[in-house]
Amino acid sequence: MSGGWRIGIDVGGTFNDLVAIREADGRRVAFKQPSVPSDPSRAVEEGLRGLMDRAGIAPAQVSRIMHGTTLGLNTILQRRGARLALVVSRGNGDVLEIARSRMASAFDFTLKREVPLIPRQRVFEIDARVTAEGVIDRRPDAAALDALAASLSAAGVDAVALMLVNSYRHPALEAEVAGAIRSRLPDLPISESAKLWPEIREYERGMLAALNAYVQPLMEGYFDRLTDRLAGLGLTMPVFITTNNGGSVSLASARARPIDAALSGPSTGVTAAVLESPVRLRGRLVTLDMGGTSTDMAVVVDGQPEYTNEARIGEFPIILPVIAVTAIGAGGGSLLTVDAQKVLKIGPESAGSDPGPVCYGRGAQVPTITDCYLTSGILAADSFLGGRMPLHPAPSAAALAALGDTLGLPPGEDRAQRAADAALQVATAMMSVEMLKLLAQRGLDQRDFSLVAFGGAGATHACMLAEEAGLDRVIIPRTPGTLCALGAALADIRRDYGRSLSATLLPDGAGFEAVAEAVAALAAEGTGWIRGETPGAEARPLAFRLMAEMRFPDQAHALEIFVPEALRETLDGAALLDLFHREHERLYGFSSRDERVRVSTIRLSVSLPEPALTDAALQASPPAPGARRHRRVFSRGEWHEALFRRRDSLAPGDRLEGPLIVEQDDTTVWILPGWQCHVEADGNLLLHRISRKEGQA
Amino acid sequence: MRLNTTDFEILRHKSVAAAEEMGLTLQRSARSIYVKEVSDFGTAIAGLDGKAFAYPAALGLAAFVDLDLNPTLQAIGPLSPGDVILSNLPYANGGLSTHLPDLQLVRPFFVDGQLVAYGWTMAHTSDIGGGVPSSISPRFAEVYEEGLQIPPVLLVRGGVPDETLLAIYRLNSRAPKTNMGDLNAMLAALEVGQKRIESVARAHGVAALLQFQTQIADYAAEKARTVLDTIPDGRFEFWDYLDHDFNSNVPVRLCCALTKRDGHIHLDFAGTDPQVQSAFNLPTANLRSPYLALRLLHLVTSRDRTAPNNHGLLNRVSAAAPEGSILNPVYPAACGVRHATVMRLLDAVSGALHQADPGLVPVAGGGTVLPVVLVSPDPVTGETRPMVIQSLVCGSGSRQGSDGIDGREAGLSNTRNSPIERTEDEAPVLVEHYGLRCDSAGPGRWRGGCGLIYRIRMLRDDLAVMARGLERFRFTPWGGAGGRPAARCRVVVNMGRPDEREVSRLDYLPLAKGDTITFMTPGGGGFGDPFTRPAEAVLQDVLCGFVSVPSARDDYGVVIQGEEVDEAATSALRCQPRDTVPTLDAGPFRRSWDEAFPDDLVRRLIAALAPFTPRIRSRKRQALYESVLPALKDGGLPRIEEPAQTRDAFAQAIEQLEREVAA
Repeated sequence: MSGGWRIGIDVGGTFNDLVAIREADGRRVAFKQPSVPSDPSRAVEEGLRGLMDRAGIAPAQVSRIMHGTTLGLNTILQRRGARLALVVSRGNGDVLEIARSRMASAFDFTLKREVPLIPRQRVFEIDARVTAEGVIDRRPDAAALDALAASLSAAGVDAVALMLVNSYRHPALEAEVAGAIRSRLPDLPISESAKLWPEIREYERGMLAALNAYVQPLMEGYFDRLTDRLAGLGLTMPVFITTNNGGSVSLASARARPIDAALSGPSTGVTAAVLESPVRLRGRLVTLDMGGTSTDMAVVVDGQPEYTNEARIGEFPIILPVIAVTAIGAGGGSLLTVDAQKVLKIGPESAGSDPGPVCYGRGAQVPTITDCYLTSGILAADSFLGGRMPLHPAPSAAALAALGDTLGLPPGEDRAQRAADAALQVATAMMSVEMLKLLAQRGLDQRDFSLVAFGGAGATHACMLAEEAGLDRVIIPRTPGTLCALGAALADIRRDYGRSLSATLLPDGAGFEAVAEAVAALAAEGTGWIRGETPGAEARPLAFRLMAEMRFPDQAHALEIFVPEALRETLDGAALLDLFHREHERLYGFSSRDERVRVSTIRLSVSLPEPALTDAALQASPPAPGARRHRRVFSRGEWHEALFRRRDSLAPGDRLEGPLIVEQDDTTVWILPGWQCHVEADGNLLLHRISRKEGQA
Repeated sequence: MRLNTTDFEILRHKSVAAAEEMGLTLQRSARSIYVKEVSDFGTAIAGLDGKAFAYPAALGLAAFVDLDLNPTLQAIGPLSPGDVILSNLPYANGGLSTHLPDLQLVRPFFVDGQLVAYGWTMAHTSDIGGGVPSSISPRFAEVYEEGLQIPPVLLVRGGVPDETLLAIYRLNSRAPKTNMGDLNAMLAALEVGQKRIESVARAHGVAALLQFQTQIADYAAEKARTVLDTIPDGRFEFWDYLDHDFNSNVPVRLCCALTKRDGHIHLDFAGTDPQVQSAFNLPTANLRSPYLALRLLHLVTSRDRTAPNNHGLLNRVSAAAPEGSILNPVYPAACGVRHATVMRLLDAVSGALHQADPGLVPVAGGGTVLPVVLVSPDPVTGETRPMVIQSLVCGSGSRQGSDGIDGREAGLSNTRNSPIERTEDEAPVLVEHYGLRCDSAGPGRWRGGCGLIYRIRMLRDDLAVMARGLERFRFTPWGGAGGRPAARCRVVVNMGRPDEREVSRLDYLPLAKGDTITFMTPGGGGFGDPFTRPAEAVLQDVLCGFVSVPSARDDYGVVIQGEEVDEAATSALRCQPRDTVPTLDAGPFRRSWDEAFPDDLVRRLIAALAPFTPRIRSRKRQALYESVLPALKDGGLPRIEEPAQTRDAFAQAIEQLEREVAA
């Protein structure tokens, strides 16, 4: 296998990104291919052909393909999934109507609520119920099951989601009902909530089953077409699908639980951002993924991205662990407008990719952040996307000059630049305050963090953002424009397991048996699964991450306690309690070691770590003769003669000072005055603040 | 020096974010359930005028945008860097608090020795002493029963906490550790605010920061004006009722007259009933007070989502609540449970706005929050403990162009529900039914949101249920513009069994194993004539179980056969002449009540009672109502057989009281 290539594919709204890595020496080749929204598998096929051509890879040399797809996400957002029915316990038929009985805002009385994924008429109640102790309270008889099957059949549904109250304590009843339906309607796919994720909270667990059933038919169809097209290219190696937790699973696992893949795109980006950052800086990172239509941030502490069980897909919750990514207001396509009081507003509306910014020349009139980059001189009209997409500077500048006029900026030939500058400053302030809030929420100090920038515009804006927010370091990976594809190629096989329980630990640690039993069961399940995911997995070491949700009986809000791996095997009640009390003391300044503590949910992630692939040594190519060495940039009220370099002309060890523009095919890096750019041995750019050293730790 | 548009917008983002960072810090490190789960906390940055110029967009309580720090600041005098003022007594801090568990901290923000702003944080802490755990009970009459009273005092002087004060504070709480955790979280939030304001001042200059404080208020005022000017000129009045004053079954009236003239809006609450001898009072300190004008704030921010949250939004609004009324009680009236009062206050203002123009605001939502409390023995210690197992809300009111929301009403707290599985994991009950309540919504062209139905079965013998503060058992949520009122609140024990019984007021109800109790919350009122609602929409509601077939026929004029609309029968029914309904329709009981207790007499009674002390006033008022309508003594829905006769008796009783006073 060591001579093989691993290929990562990330399907986006505008482009499919592909990255190939040679396992022997870490050599990388990236390729961008326009998306085909009508048939994503075709663009993947074309992209693979292009990539293999460029890198000179023969089909037999490909050892594995790691594929990230937004198909599931888009299916949900656009509401074009399967026609579903939901089966629930008697008395619980309005569960999707009520949801968590909360409005998005306490005060805006014009707000509406989400349209339920499954209309009330296709929700069926049956007499099947488990008690909180996991005992069957009611069980449907054959006549009731016949009636249910008849209703499902009459409703003409493609698939069924099944959620019985308290099934997390006793998944067998759901399995029994599913079996009974299957025996009557053999072709009807059924998603069982407790089999997917046996965690307490009926609405969220039911929604998970519903979402899984909702995307399953489209995803399976896509996987079939994909497999066919790969076979057509002579590619018969294993295919893996990237997942919400930044890992990946086999195609067979993804078919069974496609919801795992719905939010994988942003997650693999974060995974790659961590792996691409220098080890010495991984302790504290903020990732910035800025594209044309959205900007996402994530916080990384001690080399681990943060996970959440409260992510949302559109209006719906998803309780599976997902890398916590926060979308913030401004992206490259954010529209610039002026309100009735003549105050400049950025977003929240976005120009999207069509018509896109004014400079795309597709008829848009309202300027965007991307127009500001172009007009202020940061972007060049002829080298956007490696010159494949010529930009139109004149309409861009005209739109910004008009904006400047409305804002009352002084007339003059650089009014457009002044307007662009104003907009970039406001956008930077908006991004900066969002980042600071993200850190404040976690009690972290921004001065300890480095910013890792990727996406088409991340590297363009990162230095402005770091300057404003008070961060001293910015990391620009080698291929910021295709980082999500790189993350796919580097993703470990990984799956999370969770289970709610009802365990109470006494102050001396007694009562731990239930916890130990749950942990052991999850570890056995995960180990069994991962051994079957890929040949040769038996011999390789696995990695585990164990978390426990714990709280005092009177405490509504549980704390998530991370159990260090060194402790996991020998964990006992006293050790777990100690971890909890220490966390409680850290957060609140006190704890009560003489009180009982409840353990409500256990989560365990199991992964198969891949050996690290370091990138091949960087070779600088000399600048083309006659290439421009400077570019004029208007920034923060004045013109700068910025040094200009192509990224591929930089060699490790180079040190350059801002104002500086580094241009590469997939992005343009803007480095402010007062910042230094250092080319690391692995080719990453490390931007460093040099002008504000006084008084800094 | 006017700020340019760029600096202004940047300062706006930074200052709001600073207030939000304070909130995030507080929320992260506070330990009490109120802060964590109910978001009962607030943070803001006030200018040198003592009014908030930066307030979070969506974090913590949104109700205090119009806060006023001046009474607190005046009580202490000049402040030094590192000082922090603590208070919790509404009667001493100008209504900054509205009940004692709400701790208020104010810290001056200095930059290079110059005072530039004030930071404010508030948190509902677990327990501040008083007669019951958590310090709140409707039966308290005076704040002395509600816990430790703290006027504005310096908690921290120049960065040094006052240990004496803290020692007293700790001793007066049942949860000193948790409370200290909250207090430390509030102090941490203020520290974050100071740091952020300092960095803003360093980046933009102190002069720019000070200029911004007034410029942002003017900006808000301009935005608000565009919305508020949609209210027509004139005087518009409406009143609504609390079912009772807790100590008796006598209802409490909240009255609002909104006058719009020359771009100015005045809210006059004269005609509101006197303060009560229970904890329903809302202290407002003779000021505009955040709650009094809150509905107008909702109006502005709902219509213009770009309007910044600050006091400038209410620049052209004044409010006055009569001293000694439930909306402006005098010391030492208890005020722990003012939640229901605030909800009804919002309904009263909504009604006045609706009179001005029905398109302005939604009609009444269900308007009550029903915390279902189970009292059960602790499985380990055996000690009896109360536990909130569910917080039931109602349906939202409908409005021009939109149905109300089913089973959700943001109201004031907007908390998440408790999943059935959580409830059953914690409490010895089985939740048999948790769904939308059929026929609870007010019919209309746009129907109200459905209320909820919640039935629990007791799994042990030694249990009891408490549900205090239940409202809308008598005075139903009103519909408007031809829309009809929603169903009233109901609680039934052992529904559908031979021993079924209706509970009209629920205080403490012991229940045995196998007993069930069913809570049914009101829906929201309807908007517009229900006979004009498309038959297809009514059919959908019937198929979903939200509207019954009889209600479809009687309330909407839609005849349903099987799963289809009977078009012919429907057209025939919809053509028949019908009774006209009032502009605001709160149902037959409300109509008979208003007839029996008309506005002019109610106002005369309020005036006649004025000379008495609050305690005597309350006693005399109760006696007078009960003498006029003896059925009030029995609870439930008192039948007013002959409203005209009751009115005459009411008038005579008032005359007698007036004579007594004159003598």
